[in-house]
Amino acid sequence: MELVDSGAVKTKSGRMIPSLGFALLVAASSSLFLIPAFIIRPFRFQSPRGLILAMALRQNAPLWTAVFTAGAIVFAIFLWPRISIWKRIPLVLGLCLACGAAVMSRIDYFEWMFHPVPVPGFESADHTGLDSSEMVIAVRFGNDARAYPIREMAYHHVVNDVVDGVPLAVTY
Amino acid sequence: MWKRTLNGRPLHFHLAGINNQNFLMRDDETGSWWQQITGKAIFGPLKGRQLDAVLSDELTFGLWKQESPAGKVLAPVTKYQDEYESEWEPKVAKLPVVINFPRTPLQSRDILIGMEISGASRAYPMPAVLAQSPVQDRLGGTPILLVVGPDGKSVRAFVSRLDGKDIELFRKSGSEWVMVDSTSGSEWNFQGCAITGPAQGKCLQPLPVLKDYWFDWRNYHPETSVYRH
Repeated sequence: MELVDSGAVKTKSGRMIPSLGFALLVAASSSLFLIPAFIIRPFRFQSPRGLILAMALRQNAPLWTAVFTAGAIVFAIFLWPRISIWKRIPLVLGLCLACGAAVMSRIDYFEWMFHPVPVPGFESADHTGLDSSEMVIAVRFGNDARAYPIREMAYHHVVNDVVDGVPLAVTY
Repeated sequence: MWKRTLNGRPLHFHLAGINNQNFLMRDDETGSWWQQITGKAIFGPLKGRQLDAVLSDELTFGLWKQESPAGKVLAPVTKYQDEYESEWEPKVAKLPVVINFPRTPLQSRDILIGMEISGASRAYPMPAVLAQSPVQDRLGGTPILLVVGPDGKSVRAFVSRLDGKDIELFRKSGSEWVMVDSTSGSEWNFQGCAITGPAQGKCLQPLPVLKDYWFDWRNYHPETSVYRH
């Protein structure tokens, strides 16, 4: 009787550390994505310190979310056969969260909102449908004059271009 | 607008975040973070580095086409063409701001022409520029001219100095859009070049201007003065 009891306690405490480790790794991985995402929300104030923190986390997130998620997977593999079917639900949810953070840390999700221009294309001034009163950003290098309509720049915001051999970042 | 070459290596920028409504870019090459308005790296391996500014203009398409008939225009990306907003300015004017400068002479969303010369910066409220053009002023020890073009919308700035002497320019009344300088009586076009008179063929040195909102300009130029006349 005593033997069985101590065995049960041992198994329980044996699951405790992996469970805690799993939870911590999931929290760490998801924080690396969620904290910067929260700080750099559009239409919200960014304090100088908050911004530095957001950039630092984002900068390191690709590596550390991978490490933390890998650790979480190891704990999950250990725990899976040792826990009831109901306890496997938070385990799966935790894994989804950690993996999601690892994926999102590698994606520039701002480009979902502000779509980039993959390769800028150009047309002659006579062939655009632009109204003469529309504003453009204009630049000239040598004989190469280019206009970037504000209506396009206000949507894409950044265009990586080369004008007369000079690589330019056109921003708005 | 910026030259995107650093130490001879071209960088490729992507929009990667937002800092109080001025966006942040990252370069593919190093992952450093750059502030759009300053062209400066604020975080990452290239922190502290500055991109070289390129002189650019904000003009109406009609005026630009007149000046550069052989020029090329950025083509719309077909996939997103329908999402472009032609009425960008009035739409943005209604958006909330996240930083405010109470007890300053302008309102957050007031549009201005920002200028910076030898460390001195000044904001020229757009209504004042439109009403008074050409605006003759002095900034950072330099005599400057701010002028609205024949389209009534485009703004350019120049050093109002000819052969080492300060000059003043005025709009000449009449149907054709020209300016006249008070020293030589030469006529000048909107590109800042003399087209008649003793100065014919000479051009004034153009200066960079930034059309911006007060909250954004003030945030990055805390020492700015505001033009009053």
